[in-house]
Amino acid sequence: MTDKPAISVQDLTKDFRVGLRGVKLRAVDHLTLSIPRGQVYGLLGPNGCGKSTTLKIVLGLVPATSGSFTLLGHDSASPEARARIGFLPEAPYFHRFLTGRELVRYCARLSGVASNRVDAATDEALELASMTEAGNRRVGTYSKGMLQRIGLAQAVVHDPELIVLDEPTAGVDPVGSAAIGKMIQAMRQRGKTIVLCSHLLGQVEQVCDRIAVMDRGRLVLEGHIDEVLAQRGVHQISVEGLTPAARQAAEEALSSHGAHVLKVDHPRQTLEDLFRRLVTGSRD
Amino acid sequence: MFSRIFWIARVTFLEALRQRFLAFLLLLAAAFILGSVPLRSIDFGHGELKFLADLGFGALFLFGSILAVVLPAQLLYGEIDNRTALTLLAKPVGRGEFLLGKFFGSWAVLGVFTFALTGLIGIILLVREPDVVARAMALQVVPPEVSVVGLFEHALLQWLRLGIIVSLALLVGSLAQTFLYTVVVGSMAVLASQLVWIAQDTLANPEAVLSTLMRGALWLTTRLFPNLQGYNIGETLVLAQSTVLPGTVSSLCLSAAVYLVLILFLACTAFRRREI
Repeated sequence: MTDKPAISVQDLTKDFRVGLRGVKLRAVDHLTLSIPRGQVYGLLGPNGCGKSTTLKIVLGLVPATSGSFTLLGHDSASPEARARIGFLPEAPYFHRFLTGRELVRYCARLSGVASNRVDAATDEALELASMTEAGNRRVGTYSKGMLQRIGLAQAVVHDPELIVLDEPTAGVDPVGSAAIGKMIQAMRQRGKTIVLCSHLLGQVEQVCDRIAVMDRGRLVLEGHIDEVLAQRGVHQISVEGLTPAARQAAEEALSSHGAHVLKVDHPRQTLEDLFRRLVTGSRD
Repeated sequence: MFSRIFWIARVTFLEALRQRFLAFLLLLAAAFILGSVPLRSIDFGHGELKFLADLGFGALFLFGSILAVVLPAQLLYGEIDNRTALTLLAKPVGRGEFLLGKFFGSWAVLGVFTFALTGLIGIILLVREPDVVARAMALQVVPPEVSVVGLFEHALLQWLRLGIIVSLALLVGSLAQTFLYTVVVGSMAVLASQLVWIAQDTLANPEAVLSTLMRGALWLTTRLFPNLQGYNIGETLVLAQSTVLPGTVSSLCLSAAVYLVLILFLACTAFRRREI
């Protein structure tokens, strides 16, 4: 593994000309970003903030107005770099008449998987995406969750080093979304670099090592997830069987050391956790 | 590179075969050709086989041209609109490879269309030939003869002609932003290519009085558009009623190959600059 970042973006700007008068719309504004290898990197921001455009530029699908960028240390236009990445676009659509297995095989062939490895690579990718059983059904019959999972399978079939996932959980129910989260974690354990664009902040918080937040084409925050989210100077203690007398004694003890209790309440589980627990087993 | 083009072409071909539009046009053209059989007595004095061949080849070119313009535009835009193109072009697939895959897939579909309809026309002509020959013998006139080799040569030329139309549609499609624009401008390009012989004849006529501007415009037209009318020698090839100059078919094949290479090169160059 080299020291070069998976994705390096320097002073990247992208302007679109819109309307008959060619009014300039700046989608990405002097963005500088470095995504290290071997991590799950969350790229966050509201709709239209330039996340997808940035990814498309880096993947060589849209030309940049100015700035420079590299993909795994190479020019993104080079086949060498693109053979080492997997991409799942937002709301993917695949050839409806192919079966899931045929689609993944097709993508394996296009990605340069050796002929004698295509079948094995297809099986592995389908298994990773939990799509082995549904692999012989036509893509046109898949639910949204299955489409996303087969999309993930086609993105990883050639065992890429870098996997770019644009809204992989869009339109997927919480159970399916959790399954995709598990797949992302499984890929991280295999040493892959994953770039994740998502609006599901809870999931991003769970799976990402680092995050970057974009707004109006600019980078407004970047850092390790724990550093970014930690509230410095505030601590949390969870206790069981707290009586009023014990609580008063604890408060007095803390106060004698100069600390102040800010809040005492019952911890809540997230609605997503509750939902997943209630409906486990009703997956696609 | 060739492997990737092959796989894209294969999937394009399968996708096109499953579209209702192909089946609809194929059935419509077949119905048109079969419908000419009961009407064969209205041959305007040109002979029954000539009437059947004219109508059949006309239907083949008309419906084939519609398919050759609409199909690649639909397949190209379909993949760009629904983001399948994003998935494929993020892989080590060159844009030229993607476009060539679309071309060969669409062209293969037109091959099926052309040879299936030519087969139908051939069957009709061969079934009617004995009757027509008997009548000619009775009237002591030279009987017409259906050439199976000529039928094959004609099918090949029509397939090449439709290939040029597919490449023109892809060239327009790689520059255009909407499906409708591609179909309208592509159709106009086909029409211009069908009529370019008029410009060629006018320029070749020493008695034609033309201003410099008009002469320049006509010259440019003859250079920009391929002469698709030149491939219209089916009746001569199939019914052998007049002689085809030696080398005509091979020179038409060669000119089609040159046009295909040139137009596809321009289409690939334009598509490389396109924002997906």
